[in-house]
Amino acid sequence: MITALRKRVKAQGDWTLLGLGATLVVLIVYFSIASPYFLATRNFVNIGQAMAIRGLIAIALTVLMISGGIDLSIAAMAACAGMVAASLIMEGMNGTLAGLIALVAAIGLGGINAFIIIKLRITPLIATLGTLLLFRGTAYVVSGGDNKAIGVNTWSWLGRGRLFGNNLPISLVVFLGILIATMFFMRFTVTGQYLYAIGGNAVACRNTGVKVDRLRSSAYMFTGLLAGFAGLALMSQGGVAQPQALFGAELDIITAVLLGGVALTGGRGSLLGTLLGLLIIGIINNGFILLGLQVYWQQVVRGIILIVAVALDSFRRGGGYR
Amino acid sequence: MQPMLSMRSVSKSFGHVQALIDVDLDIAAGEVLGLLGDNGAGKSTLIKILSGVYYPDEGEFSRSGDPATIESPADARELGIATVYQDLELVDTRPVAHNIYLGREPRKWVVFLNRRKMEIEAAELLKRLNIELPSVKVNVDLLSGGQRQAVAISRALAQGGDILLLDEPTAALGVEQTEQVHRLVKSMKQEGKAIVLITHDLSEVLDVADRVVVLRQGRLYADSRSSDTNLNEVVGWITGAAPPRLSKAEALT
Repeated sequence: MITALRKRVKAQGDWTLLGLGATLVVLIVYFSIASPYFLATRNFVNIGQAMAIRGLIAIALTVLMISGGIDLSIAAMAACAGMVAASLIMEGMNGTLAGLIALVAAIGLGGINAFIIIKLRITPLIATLGTLLLFRGTAYVVSGGDNKAIGVNTWSWLGRGRLFGNNLPISLVVFLGILIATMFFMRFTVTGQYLYAIGGNAVACRNTGVKVDRLRSSAYMFTGLLAGFAGLALMSQGGVAQPQALFGAELDIITAVLLGGVALTGGRGSLLGTLLGLLIIGIINNGFILLGLQVYWQQVVRGIILIVAVALDSFRRGGGYR
Repeated sequence: MQPMLSMRSVSKSFGHVQALIDVDLDIAAGEVLGLLGDNGAGKSTLIKILSGVYYPDEGEFSRSGDPATIESPADARELGIATVYQDLELVDTRPVAHNIYLGREPRKWVVFLNRRKMEIEAAELLKRLNIELPSVKVNVDLLSGGQRQAVAISRALAQGGDILLLDEPTAALGVEQTEQVHRLVKSMKQEGKAIVLITHDLSEVLDVADRVVVLRQGRLYADSRSSDTNLNEVVGWITGAAPPRLSKAEALT
C-alpha cells in the first residue's frame, strides 16, 4: 500500500508546472513558425514589459490566494495609488515623497480590505467587489474623470528605464527581483509556510496558536503595496495617471494566478506557476497581435483560459483521495 | 499515586440545561480512561472544559497536586492537555511533518523554518510511536483515515501533551486502522501519558481502557476498573438500568 502511495505522490508532484512549461514551449514554437517577428529580441522585451506591471500584482495575489483570500480590487488600488502620486506631484510635492505616500496609501487600501473581510466577516469575493467599485470610483472622483499628466518625474526610471543597451526594461528586473524574493520568503520562512497552512485549514492553524488574522491582514496589505507599486510603475511609464488605469486587469491577473496552479480554495500553488501563467497569457496576447487577429479575439481566448484554469483546479483537487 | 489531573465538583449549565453536575474525576499517568455516556450525558462538555473551550460555573482543578485554572485553550496547553478532535483539524495541503509541528516549528535565524530538523524530529516521533508512514514529506490528504488520526495524535504529543483527550478517535475507521490507533494508544500509555478516550464503541473501551467512567444526565454515574465490569453492566450504566458504582472515586476522596 505504501508503494502505491509513493507512486501517487510522485504522479501528483510537479505535474502542474510541467504541464505549464510544455504549454509554453508549444506556444513559443507555434508563434515562431506563424510569425517572423515573434522570436525577435525586441518582441520579447515587449512581452516582458507588458507582463511586468501586471506581474507585480500577480505576485501579491498569489500569496493572498495561497492564504485562502482573494482580491478583486487590485487594479482599482493600482489606479488609486497612481492618482495619489500624480496629484501630489502636480501640487508641487517632491516626486519620491509623493510616490512613497502613494505606496503607504495603497497599503492602507489593503488594510481596508482586510478590515472588511476579517473584522466584519464578509467573504473576500464580495468584500473586494465592493471595494473595487469604491476605490475605482474614488480614483474618478479625485481626478474629476481627467487624466493627470505629469511627464517625466523621479519615478520615470521604474516605468521607462532600460538596462543592457536598451534591451532590458527596469520594470521587468524589479518584477523578477520581487518575484524571487517572495518565492524565497514563501518557501523558507515560517511565516510563508503559515500562509500555505492558513489557506489549507485556518481553524486548525488558529487552534495551534498561529496568528491567523494578523497574517491574513498582512497578506491583504502586501497586495495593496504591490498593487500600489504597479500603479506607480504604470504612471511613470506614461508620465500620466489615469482613473481608468488597468481597468479590467484584475480578471487577467486572477486568470494567470489560477492558471499557474494556485487553488481557488487556498493552500496550494506556487509563484513559479504564476510566472508561467503570466508568460502563457502574455505570449498569447502578443502572438495574437502579431498574427493580426482582431483584438476582440483576445477576450474570447482569455475567457476560455479562465475556464480552463478553474477546471484544472477542480480537477487537481479531485485527484486526491481520502 | 498523585493523579496527573484532578477535577472536583465541576458543574456547568447552559441556560436551564445542567450539562454537568458536581463531577469529580482523576486522571492518572499511564492510564487509559474510557469516558462513556449517552448523547447529551455531558461527555463533550467535560472535554471542552478540560481543553479550555468552556469555563465551568463551579469546580476546581489540580495538575499533579498543584491547583490549576483552565480558562482558555492556551491554559490547557500550558498544563499539557492536548485534545484530538473528531474532525482532526489537520491541514490537508501540508506535509505530515508540518502538521505535527504546526505552530511550534523549529526555526533557524528567528524567521526561517528549519525544515530538516522538523522532518527528522517528526520521523523520530513517528518511529517511537510505531506509526508507519511512507514519508513525513507527504501531504496529509494522501493518507488513509488511520494514518491521519495517527498524525493528529502525534501532533498532540509533539505539542507537549501529557494528557491526551481523544474524541472518538476510531469513529470513522476500518478494522485495521482502528487497530493501528489502539496500538498507538498503548504505546502512549507506556510512555506514561494519561489518555482520555471518548467513544461509542463499548467493546473498544473494555479492550483498550484501564478504567471506565460513565456520565449520565450530567452526573458521574459509574467509575470502575474495566477488569471489574463487563459489557452488559456498562450498557446498564449508560442507560441507567444498572445501579451506579463509584468505587474508585470514593476510594480517592
